[in-house]
Amino acid sequence: MSNESNKLYHDQIVLRLIQFSVFWALAAMAAGVYISAELVWPTLDFGQFWLSFGRLRPLHTNGIIFGFGISALMATGFYSVQRTSHVPLFAPRLAWFCCYAWQLIVLLGGLSLLAGWTTSKEYAELEWPFDIAIAIVWVCFGIVFFGTIANRTIRPIYISNWFYGALIIVIAMLHIVNSLAIPASIGKSYSLFAGAQDAVVQWWYGHNAVGFLLTGGFLGMLYYFLPKHAGRPIWSYRLSVVAFWAFTYSYIWAGPHHLHYSSVPEWVLSLAMVMSVILLAPSWATMINGIMTVSSASEKLKTDPALKFIVLSLAFYGLATFEGPMMSFPSVNVVSHFTDWTIGHVHSGALGWNAMITYGTFYYLVPRLVGNELYSTRLANIHFWMALAGTMLYIVAMWGAGVSQGLLWLSVDEIGELSFSFKDIMSSMTPYYALRLIAGMIFLGGTFLMAYNLYKTVAGRATVEVRVPDVDPAVGVTA
Amino acid sequence: MSTNIYSFLLFKSLYQPMEAFRQLSESEPSPSGVLFRYSIWLLILPPAFSLIGAANFGWRLGAAEPLMLSRQALILVSAGYFVVLLFGLLSTSIISRWMASTYDASTALGRHVALITIVGEPLAVGSLAHLFPDVFVNILIIIPTMIWSMYLLYKGLPIALGITSEKGMLMASSLVGWLLVAAVSLLGISMMLWTLGVGPLLGV
Repeated sequence: MSNESNKLYHDQIVLRLIQFSVFWALAAMAAGVYISAELVWPTLDFGQFWLSFGRLRPLHTNGIIFGFGISALMATGFYSVQRTSHVPLFAPRLAWFCCYAWQLIVLLGGLSLLAGWTTSKEYAELEWPFDIAIAIVWVCFGIVFFGTIANRTIRPIYISNWFYGALIIVIAMLHIVNSLAIPASIGKSYSLFAGAQDAVVQWWYGHNAVGFLLTGGFLGMLYYFLPKHAGRPIWSYRLSVVAFWAFTYSYIWAGPHHLHYSSVPEWVLSLAMVMSVILLAPSWATMINGIMTVSSASEKLKTDPALKFIVLSLAFYGLATFEGPMMSFPSVNVVSHFTDWTIGHVHSGALGWNAMITYGTFYYLVPRLVGNELYSTRLANIHFWMALAGTMLYIVAMWGAGVSQGLLWLSVDEIGELSFSFKDIMSSMTPYYALRLIAGMIFLGGTFLMAYNLYKTVAGRATVEVRVPDVDPAVGVTA
Repeated sequence: MSTNIYSFLLFKSLYQPMEAFRQLSESEPSPSGVLFRYSIWLLILPPAFSLIGAANFGWRLGAAEPLMLSRQALILVSAGYFVVLLFGLLSTSIISRWMASTYDASTALGRHVALITIVGEPLAVGSLAHLFPDVFVNILIIIPTMIWSMYLLYKGLPIALGITSEKGMLMASSLVGWLLVAAVSLLGISMMLWTLGVGPLLGV
């Protein structure tokens, strides 16, 4: 490779990862809509094991987190680390390996879930061969990312890179520890942990997968793309750094709040609850930082439909990061746990925060990657309102279902007997599940619009070659 | 002018909301005037309907038997409902005024109280559904009224506060964030009260 071509950013890989991300969004959300239909019409599994709720549900969650989410994070991480380090990607072939190997893991892992291979650990259902493959690809992802930062020609490491870096390091730690297991066969293993320890390790992993992947990773996306979008620097850089360290310190303790009223020691649960409440401070610091950054760039909304997604994602980020700590209070948790409120909470984050900020970023990024205008601003605006309507409908339906369930299965009569049977309660939930199905279809419909819009924007075009700009000597690494 | 705006807000804002926003943009009513001559009448509706509906029919949560509460508990719950709504209106109005300086909007508190009341008016009227206290029926009615309220917020805020629609969109989205948090807080507080023994008899 000549010296000249070394000075070009590697953007083809970014575009390819975005294409994979959109594909997995469609596939995994379609699986979600299908299983929500199964909760209304249980016979929709047609007696096929691979179509059953128990197998399609992990396909839905893994497809969204690993397929849609991580592909989007890899794409935006690779894009932004080059721009903020002023160098092309380190080891671009390794980056391509990460891109395709990851998609292969998601594809084969998804098929293994349909075949019934599962560890039964939430968000970590994939069996040991996939766990090893994930660890290898993840380390490669880290080598590319940190190698690029190590090669940087600009002295400061921008805040988005701290979040992406935390994502890579912490997820590696969580994944490897939680996946420690003794294989019994190619498709079955047994966890190295047992009983309450297994539960604590699992939710240390599970909650921090939400924390460092679905929150921290996407905050990296926010901190790079929101200022680019708004054409303004971040409102308070100092606040963003304080929020990062407070977030990193407090999140890692919060996992056991998933285990209230279990055999886990009470001090562990209390600590988790206190840390969950403390977590509100860095979460909202970031939200305020984002809102204040965009507040002075209102004129951009006239021409940029993508910015609406990011603005609204901040509102849902505020909701989800308030709702979570509130649900960690034992007096709320005793009613809300094991109800559909939890599902609503997860989706206020996943649809309102993760999906919306990713959609906003894709609408911003894809036209720039191929040097073309977005095919249809009108379709993007329609998508925005569909995404908002779908998310709101979903949350309200699950709030209604959750509160009803919580009240019904804790209701006792005068002599302390349970007033209602579990079966009766669940059969009365059908109307809420029908509403949720409609909400999911609206949201999925919007995602299809985006896929079509981006396809027409990209069709027949190659990525634009972008040369690495010179660094101001005042902030260069040799300064 | 002030008398006109109060009577307009009370009687016509429901079916002429855009005209109400426009009139509001041309006046600076006092916060207490708006509260006592307009908002308070709407705030009374949901707890009153809830009290009447639950006392006569009991809340239907989906199971066969409705949840019947004692008269004393119902009065307590309805009084709490009113206090929470009042707190919600005032806190949202104050937060809206706090946000206004960021978006170069009017900071007259009376305008913010009136704006939030007009936005919440469909929900207050929609609380007629509480007369038939079935949770799912109430949700079915709340969803379209909530959509209408959000439409009023996004459309009416820039008119009432005299800012561009783009700045209005940003400020309305920030308020949506606050309102979502307020809504989920209401759920959380309710659950805490239930587990403390206020309301339905729970085995906790």
